This record gives sequence, C-alpha cells and structure tokens, in this order.
Amino acid sequence: MTIRPAKVDRGIGVSCIVSTVIHLTVFLLLLWWGKLFPANITYQETYYVDVVNLPVANPRAGSPTQKGNEAQVAPPPPPAPASAMKLPEKSTPAAKTAVKPGAGAAKADPAKSDAAFAERMAKLEKINEARHEEAVMERLRSKIKASGSGRAGMPTGSGTEHGSDYTAYIQSRLKDAFAETISYSGKNPEMIVRIFIDAGGKLTRRTIERSSGDHAFELSVLRAIDLASEKFTPPPAKKLFEGVFVFKPQGITPNRGK
Amino acid sequence: MALLTGTGLIVKIVLLVLIGFSVISWAIIMFKLFQVHRANSESVRFMDFFWKSKRFDAIASQVDRFANSPLTVLFNEGYGELKKVVEGAGASEGSALSTDLGGVENVSRALRRATNSEITRLEKYLTFLATTGSTSPFIGLFGTVWGIMTAFESIGRTGSASLAVVAPGIAEALIATAIGLVAAIPAVMAYNHFQHKIRVLINEMDSFSTEFLNIVQRNITGK
Repeated sequence: MTIRPAKVDRGIGVSCIVSTVIHLTVFLLLLWWGKLFPANITYQETYYVDVVNLPVANPRAGSPTQKGNEAQVAPPPPPAPASAMKLPEKSTPAAKTAVKPGAGAAKADPAKSDAAFAERMAKLEKINEARHEEAVMERLRSKIKASGSGRAGMPTGSGTEHGSDYTAYIQSRLKDAFAETISYSGKNPEMIVRIFIDAGGKLTRRTIERSSGDHAFELSVLRAIDLASEKFTPPPAKKLFEGVFVFKPQGITPNRGK
Repeated sequence: MALLTGTGLIVKIVLLVLIGFSVISWAIIMFKLFQVHRANSESVRFMDFFWKSKRFDAIASQVDRFANSPLTVLFNEGYGELKKVVEGAGASEGSALSTDLGGVENVSRALRRATNSEITRLEKYLTFLATTGSTSPFIGLFGTVWGIMTAFESIGRTGSASLAVVAPGIAEALIATAIGLVAAIPAVMAYNHFQHKIRVLINEMDSFSTEFLNIVQRNITGK
C-alpha cells in the first residue's frame, strides 16, 4: 500500500527560477551601484626630492619669505610711553667743553648722519664679502692643485667624466627602481654594469662588465635600469654620460675608479 | 566587475560553482519556507477541527481542506487502516477479541509508517542546505588560495613587489572566499531554522498518533 502524501509538492522548479531571478537582480544592482559610486582607487605616485641637484640657498641671504606672509610678520613693539622716565645723564667735563654754539647744526640733521652710516656699513660689508669670496676661491684653488683633479668640489673626480653630480642622480634613480625589482637566488650576488646615456637623457646602452652569475639578480638589475631610464633627465651641458655602477642586494654604488 | 573578469579560469569555475550553490540553496530556502509555513498553519487548523468533530467519517469528508498538513496524512492512513480492521472484524464475528487487539496494532503501524513518510517529505532537500553551509567556505577558500598562487606567480614574472601589483591579484582571489561565505551563511541559518520547525511538526505528529490510537482504543474496542 502506498501512502498518499499531504499534497503533491509542486517541486523546486518554481523556486529555482525565482532564486535565479533574485540572484540576477542582486548582481545587476551591484553593477549599477559600482557604476553609480565607482571605487576611487588611485595609486599615488611617489615623488622623490633630488637632494643632490637641489639649489642650495645662500645661508647669508637670510631665510626666504614666502609671498603673502608679509601680513603675518610679528607686530612692531609698542611705542615707548611719552612720559617715560629719563635716566639722569652723567655730565663729563670733556662733554661740557665740547659743547659749542656751532655744534647745534650737526645735531639738527640726524637723517643725514644715518645715511652716511648706512653707506659706510654697506662698504664695509662689501669689502668683507669680497675678502670672504677671495679666501674661498683660494682654498678651492689650493685643493685642486693638491688633488690634481680637473673638477672643483669633486676630490675623486678625474675631470673626464661629465658631471659627477649627475652620477649621484643616476645612482639615486637606479636605487629607487632597484628597490622595486630586486630578486636573487644566490648568496652574495653582485653585478657591475656600464651605462651610457645620450645628451637627451636616453639610455643608449648598458653593458654587463662583471656578474656573479645569478640569473635572477641579473634580470632584476637590467629591469631596474630599464625602469629607471624612464625617468632620466638629460646630463648637464648636454654631454654624453657614461657610468659604471656596482649592484648588490645591499645597494648600488658608482664605480668611480673605472 | 573588474574583480570578476580579472580572475583566472580556476577561480572563475569556483565562482560559478558557488553561485550555483547559492541559487539552489536560496530556491530550497524559499520552497521550504512555503512548505513548512503551510504545514504549520494547516496543522493548527486541522487539530482545531479534529477536536471539534464528533465522528471520524465527518473529519474524513472534510480532510481535503487541510491538504498541506502532515496530520491529515496520518489521519487518512489511520482511518483507512481502521476501516479495514472494522470491516475484517465484521466478516469474522467469532474472533472479535483477537481482531480488536491486532486491529489497534495495525492502525499504530500505519500511523508510524505515515509519520516516517511525512518526515522524509519535510526533510527533503535539507541535506543540500547542510552541504552548502559546510562546503561553500572551503570551496571559496580553494579559489582564494589558487588566486593568490597565480597572483604571486605574476608578481614574480613582472618582478615588481609594489602594492599596485600585489593588491589587485589578492583582491581578485579574496572574492572567492567572500562568495563562498555569502552562499554558506544563509544556508546554515536556514538549515537550523527548518530543523527546528520540522522537529516541532514531528512532535505534533507523534502527539496526534497517540491521541488517534487512544480514541480508537476507547471507542472502537471499548477499552
């Protein structure tokens, strides 16, 4: 004997259709929501300050004042009260004798004497500055003579390389790129690469001078050079640049001896 | 949308499986909600009608009004069996006592069988909900692990470890876990809810069976 169920169920077919419709609706709603309020994912580019090529302000020129800051200058000190108590002056006999009837005219023109004083001070400052500059130049000359280098301020410069500062700049760019691409499988990988940059700041050639043989490291170095070359600026004086850099996992150093 | 389109083939398959699980489990949830709700409400109405009625044949004539209640199945089965027993007893007058005892047992067995069949009907598809609830997060996790593996592989290929390279791959991979959880959470909640409701219905069926047997024994056999 078979048991007759309470009611023959319609089955799950209708529910399946309804469920699919609901899922589609939810999916379309999500799409619509995403279009209405798109996720604002912006990858902020990292900007580096080129410390090497930053213009250095003359320390004697005083602190720079930005435009518009004039209003924020500290207020002047309050004026002295009119009835300020006067200190008693010591009367010296010499002063007494110096006082003549004609001396009143000099006292009567204080602006003239101020201008003369300022002129004299400016002259003295100018002389002092000239002396200082002369001393600095003398020191530099003696330094160049002692080192035999053809470039001022670069004790190890050979004089043939085009812009030692530019080497540091290239090193900095390479370092940034290398931080992103670095990978190696050996223990102490090392690689020496010679880089050629044309007058327009374009990487023309890169040659591997020496390598420890770590293939992954070699690839990462070459990738770093390519990556960094996108941001190279033209060398100073629009001359060709040639530099040798030693790449290690610890960092990049310019090989100045070569 | 980019998160879905940017994933690999395996992750896409995982996502499709999970969406399939979700669609079916929601279909079951809706179906069961409707079924259990009707069964509950009609059982209450049937019990009310049952206690108000004086005769079994009067109830049997009106039982179609409560077609969705499992109690009506029990009543139909019990009443049908009882009719057969009584008819059988009428045919053999000489052995009334033995037929009476055997008749109540027959009715009891019929009620038990009807109860079992109703439990099976009510619990139908619930296994799928339990399966969805327990396996979907793991399927999603598998998709995520696979996605992260491919993301790391592409990171290794490009040679860049910046956040802009790492983050999208991992985000694409994590969507599998998210959809796995979206499928699993309602399934587990619904499973527990329906289990409770069905347990209540089973208790009602047991009570009704006992009451039915008591009435049969009191009125038909005179004990």
